[in-house]
This record gives sequence, C-alpha cells and structure tokens, in this order.
Amino acid sequence: MKKLQGRTWFVLLFILLLLGGTGFLMYSYVTEGGEWVAFKANSHLYSNGQMTTGSLTDRNGLVLYDGETDSYAQDEDIRTACLHAVGDEYGNIVTGGRVLFRGYMAAFHPLTGVGESGNTVALTIDAKINELAYQALDGQRGTVAVYNYETGEILCMVSSPTFDPYDSEEVLIAVNEGDERYDSVYLNRFLSSTFTPGSIFKIVTAAAAIEELDALDSFSFTCTGSMELDDGEITCPSAHGDLDLAGALEHSCNCAFGQLALELGGQRLMRYAQEAGLLSQLTFDGVTSARGSYSVTDKDLDLAWSGVGQYTNLVNPCSMMALMGAIAGEGKAAAPTLLHGVTSPSGLPAAIVGSDSHSIGWSEETCQTLKRLMRGNVTGHYGQQQFGDLPVCAKSGTAEVSSSEQPHAWFVGFVDDPEHPYAFVVMVEHGGWGSKTAGSIAAKVLTAIAETE
Amino acid sequence: MDLSSVGDFFSGLLESATGSINELLGQAEVLLLITRFLDGALAVLLPLLAILVIVRCARSLLQGRIESETWGWLSDSAGGHHILHHWEVLLGRSRRCDVVLPDKSVSRNHAAMTRNDKGEWILFPLRNKNGLFLNGSPVLSALRMKSGDRLRLGGTELVFQAVTAAQEEEQAKKRTRPGKVFSPGVTLFLLTLFQAILCLRSVDAVDRDYHQSIYLSFIVLALLMWLVYLIYRIFRRTGFEIETLAFFLTSLCMTVTAVSTPGTIYTQLLSVALGLILFFALSIVLRDLELAKSLRWPAAIGAVALLTFNLLLGQTLFGAKNWIAIGPLSFQPSEIVKVVFILVGATTLDRMFARRNLVFTLVFSAFCVGCLGLMSDFGTALIFFVAFLAIAFLRSGDLPSVCFMTAAAGFAGFIVLHFKPYIASRFSVYRHVWEDPMGMGYQQTRTLSAMASGGLFGQGIGEGWLKRIGAANTDLVFGVIAEEMGLIIALLAVLVIVLFALFAVKSAAAGRSCFYVIASCATAMIFVVQTMLNVFGSTDLLPLTGVTFPFVSCGGSSMMACWCLLAYIKASDTRQNAGIAIRLPKPRRQEEAVISPAPPIPPEAPQQNHFREDPDTRAATQRLEQVAQTTSRWSPGSFSAHVSIHREDSSPDEYL
Repeated sequence: MKKLQGRTWFVLLFILLLLGGTGFLMYSYVTEGGEWVAFKANSHLYSNGQMTTGSLTDRNGLVLYDGETDSYAQDEDIRTACLHAVGDEYGNIVTGGRVLFRGYMAAFHPLTGVGESGNTVALTIDAKINELAYQALDGQRGTVAVYNYETGEILCMVSSPTFDPYDSEEVLIAVNEGDERYDSVYLNRFLSSTFTPGSIFKIVTAAAAIEELDALDSFSFTCTGSMELDDGEITCPSAHGDLDLAGALEHSCNCAFGQLALELGGQRLMRYAQEAGLLSQLTFDGVTSARGSYSVTDKDLDLAWSGVGQYTNLVNPCSMMALMGAIAGEGKAAAPTLLHGVTSPSGLPAAIVGSDSHSIGWSEETCQTLKRLMRGNVTGHYGQQQFGDLPVCAKSGTAEVSSSEQPHAWFVGFVDDPEHPYAFVVMVEHGGWGSKTAGSIAAKVLTAIAETE
Repeated sequence: MDLSSVGDFFSGLLESATGSINELLGQAEVLLLITRFLDGALAVLLPLLAILVIVRCARSLLQGRIESETWGWLSDSAGGHHILHHWEVLLGRSRRCDVVLPDKSVSRNHAAMTRNDKGEWILFPLRNKNGLFLNGSPVLSALRMKSGDRLRLGGTELVFQAVTAAQEEEQAKKRTRPGKVFSPGVTLFLLTLFQAILCLRSVDAVDRDYHQSIYLSFIVLALLMWLVYLIYRIFRRTGFEIETLAFFLTSLCMTVTAVSTPGTIYTQLLSVALGLILFFALSIVLRDLELAKSLRWPAAIGAVALLTFNLLLGQTLFGAKNWIAIGPLSFQPSEIVKVVFILVGATTLDRMFARRNLVFTLVFSAFCVGCLGLMSDFGTALIFFVAFLAIAFLRSGDLPSVCFMTAAAGFAGFIVLHFKPYIASRFSVYRHVWEDPMGMGYQQTRTLSAMASGGLFGQGIGEGWLKRIGAANTDLVFGVIAEEMGLIIALLAVLVIVLFALFAVKSAAAGRSCFYVIASCATAMIFVVQTMLNVFGSTDLLPLTGVTFPFVSCGGSSMMACWCLLAYIKASDTRQNAGIAIRLPKPRRQEEAVISPAPPIPPEAPQQNHFREDPDTRAATQRLEQVAQTTSRWSPGSFSAHVSIHREDSSPDEYL
C-alpha cells in the first residue's frame, strides 16, 4: 500500500497541469481579453457586423463617431476630412479607427467583462486642423499629414478622395460601378499608398553625398540646363549655373544630383534609402504602412534619374514623414501614433498609450547638415513669410509620372523648433509644382497648428 | 447585470439625495433603480453562494487529518509491533514496504497479506530467496491466516494478530466523522438557494412554454439532492461533500440545458436520476471487494461487445461514430465503458505482482482505445489512454514503461495523422485560431470572445450568445457558463474537479485496498483529463477534441457515467460513516468486547502523505518515535545496517 501511495504523485502532476493551464488561461484573459471581446461575432458589442459600443473623438474630445447611436461628427466637412482616420460604415477602410481601435472601444475589464457602454478612444488628430487641410486640398487627390516628432502624435491626417461616412452606401455602389471619382477611395493614401517621390528624394542623395563624398565642402557643379549621358540626357527646367551642394538642393538641380548619383553608385544610394527607412514598413497601432521601393540598373541614365527621385522610385508618405521627424531629431524621433488616450465609461484611463521610437541610420552630423540645407531651401527659395515665425526646413518635389498629366506635387519637412516639433508631408496627385501647390497647403496647416497652441 | 449596476445604484442614490425625498418618491426611476440593484445583488450573490458551498466542502474534505486504520499487528520476538494499517500489506526489507523488516535474509518484497471484507487474512508468498513459513511449514501459494499464527520470513519471526470485531467497532467510533465541523445540511441549504436563483433566472430567460418544465426540473433536482441526503442520514452516513459538489456541477448543467435546449430538460433530469441510481448500485457493489473483483470479467466482456456493436452499427453524430440508438433512446457506449475500464484496471495488491493480469488490462485498454480511434472519437480515446497510463503507473510504478507507452502512442498518432490528413487539419489552427475564425477556429474564437465578455460575474443567465453555436452546451460549456454566469463560477467548476482529484489522492493514504485506491485515482485522472481537454480545447490551449466537462456538459450518457464514476471516489473514502460504498462494522454484543484478549490499539501512526499534517498528528508522531527508540530492538549498532538497506532501496529492482 505504501508503494501505491508513493505513486499517487502521478495524479497530482495532472492536477498541477490543470491548475497551471487554468492559470495561463486567466493570464491570457487579462492581457488579451480586450482583443477577444472585439471579435466581430460578439453580439454583446456588434450588431450587423458593426461595433455598437464606444466612441472615437479627436484630441480635443470632439466626437467623431459614437457607437451607441451609430452617428458621426455633426459637421459634414469634419466627417469627410476625418473619414480615413475614423472609417466608414462597412469597415471597408481597414485602417480606420473603427477597425484599428475596436479592441479599445470595447470597454473590456477583467472584472466586469463588457458592459453596455464602451470606452472613449481619443485619436491624436485635431479635427479642425484636418478640416482645414481637407479644405486646402480643395478636392484634389493626395494626402496631408503632420505629426509631433517628439511625442509621435499625428495631429493631421487627411487622404483624398474621401466622402461623408453617412454616404457610405452610395459610395459603395459607386465604387462597385467603377466610378472614377472614388478611385481607390478606401485606401488611406498616407498609410497605404506609394508614389514617385521626385525631388524630395534628393534629401537621400544629399545625405549619401555628404557622408560618402564629403560633398558639402568639395562639391561644385555648373548646370547648363541639361547633362548628356550615354543613352539620354538629364534636364533641368533652366540652367542653374555654378552650384555647391546647398545651392544644388535649394534649386533642386537635376543635373547636379544626377552627377552625384553617378558618383555614388546605385548600391550606395539604395543603402541610404534603406537607412532612411523608406524601403521598410512602419508599424504602429496595429497598422502597417506601405513599403517604398528603389531599384537600379547598370545604365547611367537610370541611375542618374533615380538619384533625382524619378526612375522607378516609390515612397510612402508616412515613411517620408517619419524620415523628416528623424532628421529633425538628428537621427531619432518618436514613431507616429494615432492613439491619444482611452477613457473608460467611468472616466478613468483604460489603456496605457505611447509611441515607440523611430531611428534612421544617418549620423547626427549629417542630419544637422541636412537641417541647415533644408532651412536654406525655405529662406532662400520657397519664402519664409508664408510660414510666419515658424523656422521651417523643407524640400519640395515635383514628380513626373506621365507626359500627359501634371506631375505630383510634394512638400515635406519639419519645424526646427522645440516649441513646435512638427514634421509634415503634403502630396497632391497631379498637383503641379511642389513648392507652389503642396507648399502652400503645408504653410496653411502648420500656421493653423501653431495658432491653436 | 454587472457590478457597475451596483455602482449605478449608489451613484443614483447620491444624486437623488441632493434633491428632496418627496421628489425622489415621485420618480418612477426609483423602481428602476431598485430592480437594477437587485440585478446587481443577484449577480454577486450567485458566485458568493457557490464559493461558500465549495469552500465548506473543500475544508471538510481536505482539512481533516489523515487517520489511518488499524487492522492487525505483527509482533516480533523483541516485543516490537508492526501495525497493519491497510487491508493489503507488503512485507519486506524495502523501505517502501508496509511492514519493513530490516534483516538481510528478508527479500525486498518478501510476502503480501490481504484482508477481505469478512475479516479473513490471506498470506501470499512473493519472489523471495530465503522462504516464507507459516507455523513452521513453507508457504508456496496463498494461505489463510488466523490470529496467533507464526510467520517466518528468512530469519525474521513474527506473530500475527488481527483486530477483533469489537476493536474494529471501537476504532470506527473513534474516527472523525465527516460533517462534524461543517454540517452538510447547511451546505446543502446554501446549494438549494443557489439552485433557486439559477432556476428563477433561467425561467426569466426562456419562452413561456418552457417555464413549467424548468420550474419542475429544478424542484425535482433539489428534491433528489435532499432525498440522497435523507438516505445517508437514515443509514448513519454523514460524508456528503463529494455528492454536494457533484450536485453543484449538475445544477450548472441543468441551467445550461434550460437556456440552451429547454426542450430536453426532462431528459437531462432523467439522466441525473438514473445516474444517482447507478451511483448507489456501484457503491453497493464496491462494498464487497470480492464481488467487485468477480464482476471484472463479465464487465469486460460486456464492454467489448458493446464497443464492437457500436463500431459496426453505431451512428455518426457531430463527426464521431460513437452513438447507439435503441428506439427513442440514444447513448454513447464509450461513457459506459469508462466505468468498466476502471473496474477492469483496478486490482488488489496480491495480483499487482502477476504479469498476466497486467497483460489482460493492456489488451483490454488497447481494444478500447483502438475502437474509439476507429470511431474518430479521438478525445475519448485520449481520455482512455491517459487513464490507462495512470492505472499502469499505479500498478507497476514503472516510469520508463509509461514514458515508452506515451512515446509509442504519440508515434501511432503521428502515423494516423500522416495517413489521414483530414484529421491533421483539425490541429492546423491550434494556437492560431484567430487566423481562421470562420473555419477551424470557429468554436474557439467564439468561446474566448464570449468568455471575456462575461467578466467575473457574467452577462446574466440567458443573456449569452455562445449557446447558439452547435454543440456549445457540451464542448464549449466552459465558455457558456463564463459568459452567462461569470468566470468565477466557471473557475469554481474546474476547482470542484480539482477537489475530487485531491481528495482521491488524499484518501490513498488511508486506503484499505489497492483496488479502491487505483479505482479512485483513475477516476480522478479521467475527470481531470476530461476537464483539461474540454476547457483548454475550447480556449485553444489544447487542440479542440470535443470532450465533455464532467457533470457540467449537457448529455445523458455523460451525466450518468460521471455519477457512476463518483462511486469509485466514494469507495476510497475511509472516514467514519462517510458513504454507502463502505460497510459499517457490524455491532457486537457487549460481553464479547469486554473479554477480548487482544492488545490495546496502539496510537495511530501518522501516514506519509502529500498533505500537511496537523499539529496533533505531529505530536503523536514524535511520541511514537520516542517509544520506538526506547522499545525497538534496533540498537544503535544495527542502525547502520538499516541505513545501508535504505540506500539499496534506490536500485531499479525496487520498482515491481
């Protein structure tokens, strides 16, 4: 009998397995319960596939979407401007807050499970600024985004074309019929699209030239308006004359940057694009940005054009904005985020929010040099007065996409001021001149943000 | 129906207090506030009652010290006594023998002695080198013994003395009665209250057509419970914790039935009643060890026939061909076979050493597992296999063999998966259920979502949606309970299974026969493994196999089998007057007790066990050790010999 008794540990072992497994299940319940309840089949929270609890607000508490009443913001322009941040009626915009943050909107608490009222999720965006950016786009396609590179909070995020979420049904029908007005309307261009960068890519070429060729001091070039190569020519809109690196960037001289690209070689340019984070995806708040691309051939002409941001280069606006933040932060900045805070029905914070850091492979000195050069672009070329007192550093881009259509207009940069730590990206599809079209939108948005403080 | 409603009520009160009382009375909202408060109060009361019931039972079951019984003595020539604590004792030099004889001429496992229900003792020779002698003549096969007989094992002589009937009765009286500290009546009353709330809430949740049947079913359930209690009182039995806990789980099952498939509630109730009858029937059989042993062959043959019949003519329900329909009645033979399986697997000490006996169990187990595999009922096959492992280990103590069998079964499983890829596809989503919530992860994702929605106190009985999913009231029952009644109650259900198993292990210390200990431990294993497969399978901690939660999952066969299995656990409960499964000693005439010549019952020796002993027992141990030191013939000189034997004990030969 004593022998048998000594063997009963075998049963105890299984009891321990049962208890251990239950403990692990409880741990998962506490840590992952919020995601479990947000499952679409959960009829405590969903009706007809849409969450019926919780609400989304902007950073100032302005209600953008209320789950219990299934209603959006009162102002139509705000509704339309914030569509891609909030999401549509059918969840077609998969990067919208209604989809991304449903786990937060469902007020899960390990003690009470889910109740009748959900959490209030505050987005980082400022609806008024979004509205302004949407109005500034004036119906043109493109995207405007601004983020605080110290905290990572995205203050402005507009993607166009867009629509009023109350028109979700009509738009869905129109999209299914192939209506051109709503060409890829469910894509948030800021997060999920890539475009030819044009001259904004010269920042990458310049960084490579500074580090690899010591070009800041040694580079000199005489622009005649075109540069002959074996299989074609690089052209500038006009002859820029004698230029150093700062001058080449300020005037965005294609010939000079074509020359730099040839001296650097494709592999080195690709490495710098990689180090800048332009060829990788950025993940935050459960959303992953689109990946940019850069490729080279052994043809000099392709290489030269790639250094100018043409050829087959593609960049994602969000990655570009993060790069601007990282240059402003001299190699390191906060990664973007859309989540400002989560408040439970009782008014208590229901989640810890914060952003990761985002760093690039460029040296601190290179970033400082680039800052100076980009500041020079504004003071010397784009004009400071449109930005008021804000010390803006920027680069414009005019990306040729086809001979029959207007080029894409880009304007990217940041405010080099600890009081106003904003990095931005403005892209207008077929908007024409970068500094003119996109630059003026950036100026309006940035000065408006500065005024709200 | 959550805690916030309680908070709402108080905040509501506070708000109202600022206004005048007259205004408050005028508001129709007061009524709403009161109902909300009651809702909130009930939501808290339900788990509170459950905790009370379970804690009372648990303390009663586990808190008491482990009292060993005395059934006889072996006295040596120096006047030392070896107490026989069990009905089956092993004599030998090994430290793990029940009677340790530190003499080199005694073999490690020299002989075994067993006592039957009539009080007769039998002596069995085991593999020994220097012979076993009873009253001078060699013992070659099993022999009857009587008090005063002289035993010789190698060079050690012992005199045997059995307890007299009077002493047995006196001993039984001295043992702690269960229910002394925690009155089972009070616990039962609390459980009845718990059932009443479950009943009222279930009625609230369903269609008017079913109200009558639900009321009636719950009333009958409560009456059955009190009837069993009454029967126990009549037969002077007071150990009612195990039954109370089983009734607790059964109440949860009835509630799930009421809200998920109210039309079948009478069938469910009937299965509880039949289960209780089977429980009593098996309990009565188990009182007589000889009868139980003699039933093993017919039961095994019946089980084989049943499984064969099932395999040939069974019906496929929910993907497994494990149902037999006779007229309107359909049942799962595998549930009945579970009960037989344990009866066949359990064995007495004398037979534990016979290889032939284990071969029979092995073949029978292989047949059962094989049949279930062919029926595609892999969950049940796994339960049988684990139960077999437990029985094999308890009987042989041979860990390498158990590991080898596990590996072999794993390999066989791998072969099956290789040749039948459709079975493998079941496991493809394991730990990745969220990647396929509309396909293979359908049930698991929904269980998790519903479970988390309930919180600790649940969404309210009838307020859940998980029960609408196919087979939710059996396979996903943990999630259904967590969603509607709250996680506390769902976890308590798991805790009850743990208590059953802990009690089985605890009882092993004072078990009379290996048969009862093996049976109750194997039952505990079946309960624990079933619970693991059910709870962890539905929550993606294990692959989903579709196994029932003991007592809680809806279904007739499973309910009956669980109640029946419970008899095995009760049969190992040797506390005084604990249950029907153990006979009370027959009362004797007064004078017989007076003239009894036997030595007085020595102080109870403490038992080694996994449970902590209480201070009383520890003091008793110390006293006993002192006595042993002064009276033992093991002088300090012979102590070293004892130590050397102690070391030898670790040799592999030790594992029989």
